Amino acid sequence: MNGFSLHRAWAIARKEVMHVLRDPFTLALALGLPVMLVTFFGYAIDFEVRDIKVAVADRDNGPAARRLKEIFSASGYFQVLEAADPVGMLDSRRADAALFIEPGFSRDAQGGRPARAQFVLDGSDNSKGAVMMAYLPGIQRAAAARIYGLEPAFAPLSVETRFLFNPELSSRWFMVPGLAVIIIGLLAILLTAMTVAREWENGSMELLLSTPVRPLEIIIGKLAPYGLLVLTGVFFVYLSARLVFGVPFEGSHLLFLLACLLFITAALSQGLFISVAARQQQVAMQVAIISGLLPSMLLSGFIFPVESMPAFFQYFTMILPPRWFMVAARGIFLKGSGLAELAVPLAALAALSLLLLALALKKFKTDLEP
Amino acid sequence: MNPTLKAFIKKELVQTLRDTRMRVLLFGAPILQLTIFGLALSTEIKNIKLAVFSQPGDTAAVRLAEDFYSSGWFKPSVFRPGEDPFELIGSGRADAVLIMPAGGLGRAAGRAEGRMQLLVDASNATKARVVEAYARTITARAAAAYGPAPEQPLSFDVRVLYNPAMESSLFLVPGVMGMLVCLVTIILTAMSLTRERELGTFETIVSAPLSDAEILLGKTLPFVLLGLVVFSLVLTAAHLIFGVPVRGPLWQLFLAAFVFVVTTVSVGTSISTLAKNQQQAMLGGFMFLFPAILMSGIMYPVENMPAAVIGAAYLDPLMYFMRLLRSIMLKGGDLQVFWTNVGALALMAVFAAGLAYNRFKQTLD
Repeated sequence: MNGFSLHRAWAIARKEVMHVLRDPFTLALALGLPVMLVTFFGYAIDFEVRDIKVAVADRDNGPAARRLKEIFSASGYFQVLEAADPVGMLDSRRADAALFIEPGFSRDAQGGRPARAQFVLDGSDNSKGAVMMAYLPGIQRAAAARIYGLEPAFAPLSVETRFLFNPELSSRWFMVPGLAVIIIGLLAILLTAMTVAREWENGSMELLLSTPVRPLEIIIGKLAPYGLLVLTGVFFVYLSARLVFGVPFEGSHLLFLLACLLFITAALSQGLFISVAARQQQVAMQVAIISGLLPSMLLSGFIFPVESMPAFFQYFTMILPPRWFMVAARGIFLKGSGLAELAVPLAALAALSLLLLALALKKFKTDLEP
Repeated sequence: MNPTLKAFIKKELVQTLRDTRMRVLLFGAPILQLTIFGLALSTEIKNIKLAVFSQPGDTAAVRLAEDFYSSGWFKPSVFRPGEDPFELIGSGRADAVLIMPAGGLGRAAGRAEGRMQLLVDASNATKARVVEAYARTITARAAAAYGPAPEQPLSFDVRVLYNPAMESSLFLVPGVMGMLVCLVTIILTAMSLTRERELGTFETIVSAPLSDAEILLGKTLPFVLLGLVVFSLVLTAAHLIFGVPVRGPLWQLFLAAFVFVVTTVSVGTSISTLAKNQQQAMLGGFMFLFPAILMSGIMYPVENMPAAVIGAAYLDPLMYFMRLLRSIMLKGGDLQVFWTNVGALALMAVFAAGLAYNRFKQTLD
């Protein structure tokens, strides 16, 4: 009766497997959803800002103004639209920026005098605004050369940049492993978040408790089948990343498997803890989605870098398993990071797994006290 | 209104709100999340770990390194002299390494040959692009020390509209608001009918003296109401905590929120009629929420999506709501933008409500 029995855990696992098999929708989702979402969004997400629409009010109509517009469209970043009311176009989102060229612009330029134009931009999306501003100096230099016929400026200092690990700056290479982390983690939480709550609601938990099965055996038995299911999903995602997107895999597969196992255990335990604590499926779903979906999308470093957050939140993110697996997955895929480089993320994942598992077990045991 | 329907709606509200945990999750969690995400998230890249490799005694290089570190974007990375720069980036101890010319920067710059090499960790491509742009800006400024910068004959007066300080919170907070309202309404509704069916209380409701449409109304109206309450809460929080302006009229804001909430409540109700058990309902809710959030335009510009898949974004109600929120709050609510997006949302609301009604009737039979 006492001690951990693999046999009894196995029985619980078999029961859970039957649950999943009986529900083909959940099974298909668990296996197919990750690879579907990774493939779709890996293809869809693109961070590069291009085709910025500039509404131009040309009140000068001279040759220099015409040349300036040509420089804008030839830069490849801007798409020039003639407009009578450029600010109205900004209000209605039909343009991202407006350029005002006042009468006298061409006269000044041809006379060799400094000429000015007004550039108004929509700053409501601040990152897009910053990109537009960054393109302006290049336009200025090109205009100096073409309109005034000046030689390219003398540059005493220059920077030559080499991009390591992703020389073509493909955003897919870093998005695809990131997406995989988020989707796998969420799926793992969602799958287990219901398991125990469901048994409480159906009343089958009392039945289970009257058998000699011990809490640890129930927990292991409930985690193992879902772990296997999610790991199979990871395999499909891996294939998609390599074959569809051509993401390089520089690191060790064994290390990646270890990181995956640690991360999946952490996420499954998080779901299980929620399930044990909530006891009600609707509450479990709420907590699972609130604690899973948004934090893992927004605070894991998936898109918004953790290092740019205020210090307090950099520490706060440490309790999120996806934050650590994000570093590990991108490192192993793109940089070929080894055990030495990933010691901290892996240790953190292991610690979080143990902590969440212990919490679930403890909560479960207190619930069983008469 | 039919008194039975009124009683039904009241019962639904009482049932949802009587659990303390539910009340906390419903009203407390969105405000907490708005605060956390609003404070933590920024699209500006900061704290880039930079290592500067220079010869000992190269004062010009030290001065340039100071320029980098005092810009607020870069911070020094710790390394030992003689370490391999590639190794430094590979291990993640530096995001970028700046290698100064061998003969000293000052002398090289005097001969207009001050060529430095910048190694950037591009495993995050967007970040790498920003790091390069920062480095160019700082060196261009530093170049002024080696002779006057050439006068640019042509110059732009730059003016930034709507968000002159270019704060990311003004852009991100309305987005987070939309996400939270979407999340709450889907969570509330995706399970409601599935749960009644699992518990067997569905039969009791069906036997009430109400028409199908009235039952459906009783099962959705309370959640539309709760969705609007949550919206008002996060709107107040966004305004008070983050100073996000509301430049457009309030009626636009609430009409947009109403149409949006009707859409998501209908989607959630459809999910709950389609799902066989609560686990399916939850997975269904996730299958809607995840793409809806990713394609809403809060994380990356939707217009950038390849033509083959951009159609999917136009099916995302959250994308329209996000556009409406940003347009009304930041730009004062251009009427044309307002009616096109509200129209698109209304179309979706009608479609989703029709689907929910249809599915609901089938469930009843």
